[in-house]
Amino acid sequence: MDRSRRNFFLGAGAVTVGAAALTAAPPAEAATSPAGDPAHRWAMVVDVRKCVGCQACTVACIHENHVPDNSFRTIVSTYEVTERGKAGTYMLPRLCNHCEDAPCLPVCPTGATFQRADGIVVVDNSVCVGCAYCVQACPYDARFINHATQTADKCTFCVHRVDAGLLPACVETCVGGARVFGDLKDPDSAVSKLLKAENPKVLKPEQGTQPRVFYVGLDPRFDGKVDGTPTLWKPAAQKHDSKEHV
Amino acid sequence: MDTQIVELVNVTREVAWLPWAVQYFFLIGLSVGGVLLSLPGIAFGRAEWRKLGRVALVVGLTCGLAAPVALLSDLHQPGRFWHFYVVARPSSWMWWGSLFVPFYVAALLLYAWAAFRPELADHGRGEGRIAALYRMAAQGEGCARLTRMAALLVLAAGALVALYTGVEVALVKARPLWNTPFLPVQFLMTALAGAAGLVLLLNRVVGDGDRGVEEQANRLLAVALGGVMALGAAWFALGLFGLDATHAQALASVAGSEAWRVTAVWAVLATLVPFVIALAKPVGTGWITGLIAVHSAWMFRWTVFIGGQSLPKTGAGFYEYALPAGPEGMLGIVGTLGLWVLLLAVVTLVLPTPPKPLPAPGPQRAAHGRTVAAE
Repeated sequence: MDRSRRNFFLGAGAVTVGAAALTAAPPAEAATSPAGDPAHRWAMVVDVRKCVGCQACTVACIHENHVPDNSFRTIVSTYEVTERGKAGTYMLPRLCNHCEDAPCLPVCPTGATFQRADGIVVVDNSVCVGCAYCVQACPYDARFINHATQTADKCTFCVHRVDAGLLPACVETCVGGARVFGDLKDPDSAVSKLLKAENPKVLKPEQGTQPRVFYVGLDPRFDGKVDGTPTLWKPAAQKHDSKEHV
Repeated sequence: MDTQIVELVNVTREVAWLPWAVQYFFLIGLSVGGVLLSLPGIAFGRAEWRKLGRVALVVGLTCGLAAPVALLSDLHQPGRFWHFYVVARPSSWMWWGSLFVPFYVAALLLYAWAAFRPELADHGRGEGRIAALYRMAAQGEGCARLTRMAALLVLAAGALVALYTGVEVALVKARPLWNTPFLPVQFLMTALAGAAGLVLLLNRVVGDGDRGVEEQANRLLAVALGGVMALGAAWFALGLFGLDATHAQALASVAGSEAWRVTAVWAVLATLVPFVIALAKPVGTGWITGLIAVHSAWMFRWTVFIGGQSLPKTGAGFYEYALPAGPEGMLGIVGTLGLWVLLLAVVTLVLPTPPKPLPAPGPQRAAHGRTVAAE
């Protein structure tokens, strides 16, 4: 049984999720407040064995969240690994880990960054002063300054979609079914079952942040700062010009 | 195992704390350093330190007034600075800083006013509108007790600023290079060295080139640079011998980089050379030791902030950094420098260095004249 595929997730647990998009009456999830529903603890399990590195998630995220040029809320880090004369490719989707003990939270001097009751870490960009302290504090390089808003930005698990009973855009679009999203407080959810069955790992466990993005098939050589030759690929050479976003 | 990893696709995160932040930490450090150097002569009545204290106070005042502008500019939403003051966020050292910085600037202005009151009063002893303005600014004669009280206040505020600026950065566990208890002390010691360096320069540029001040400042500089080297050696030893995991990780993260090795050699030379000169020849070398010391204090902060942010937290190798020409880069640096020069011009225009006492007549005068001409 292929439990981690998107179709399974949708079929097994998310009939209401599909209905949310089709019916006028919102499901129960859509009624949750902006502070989140404490009855849920949203999380993601990424099965790197199924990731094909197509970057569909990267593109879907950019479109869904209007992420500016040269910025990424999620990306699939791709590595060429040569071992005993054989070369292979390793893909590692990266995003905000929505940590249980998120180091970006206590450093925020204005309270713009906060964690909802359902565990999703968000930034109120009408409050954020763009001091970038949270950018420094995040051990995963998941945060950046959005030059359209001049505030801190990051993955929100597509909170607007989740509140409407939908899946995050990256999960929805993942062709390999590598990304699975769900509720840790529901023992029958796909993520809960994967956690029990696969014993997935997290990035940088030594930081003690308790990430809520888990990885199945995570090679320990990639769970922290990767020791390798850096990428030759860089974002577009043209520098951000704040005027173009005004 | 013979494994080779090449990163094909990854994100490059740009620096989020801009050169404005370097300027802020540099200027606020020099300001606190200048205030500390001014205390013996200005506040605690040590006559032999009085002249150096005056120059150090000018350093503290001008740098302390320019620094908050750089800090504000480093915010990507500077117009929202008031958001700091409508919440209580005691878990954030930056929030504490938003309280400490205005407290420090207010205490600094009070201290400078109290210290300069006798000079203001002196300028006010005359006729005309300007003299009246001086009298208004002086509000009477100097008061040693008030100066001492203000000095204690600015000392407390300066200690809080030194504490928060260091701890704020040192607590960032995500960056091993920053996450060291050495960093607050390193910031303070390099700030003292930079302040002594700037005293040496201002003694020449806007002061009267007093040789006694030069010698005192060079001695102080040597002490501060000695402290900087001791701290650097201890940090390096902890990393090199693996005595502490974070330090070892920090050292390992940069040890393989040719650019970082060059930077390390440069930093050692920029500390060792003025240290040796200041010890061996404390008179007549103020220009060179001062310039190198100021450069060294600035470079330390540039390396910590810009260099530190060029280390990816998850990706391979290093992020590239090229100094932009606009406000996010060179313009910010030059603009801050320009603001400081303006403040220095205003302060020295309002409070010109008191004239030297008339030199003694006879051969001594001629000798002095030759010495000056030979410089």
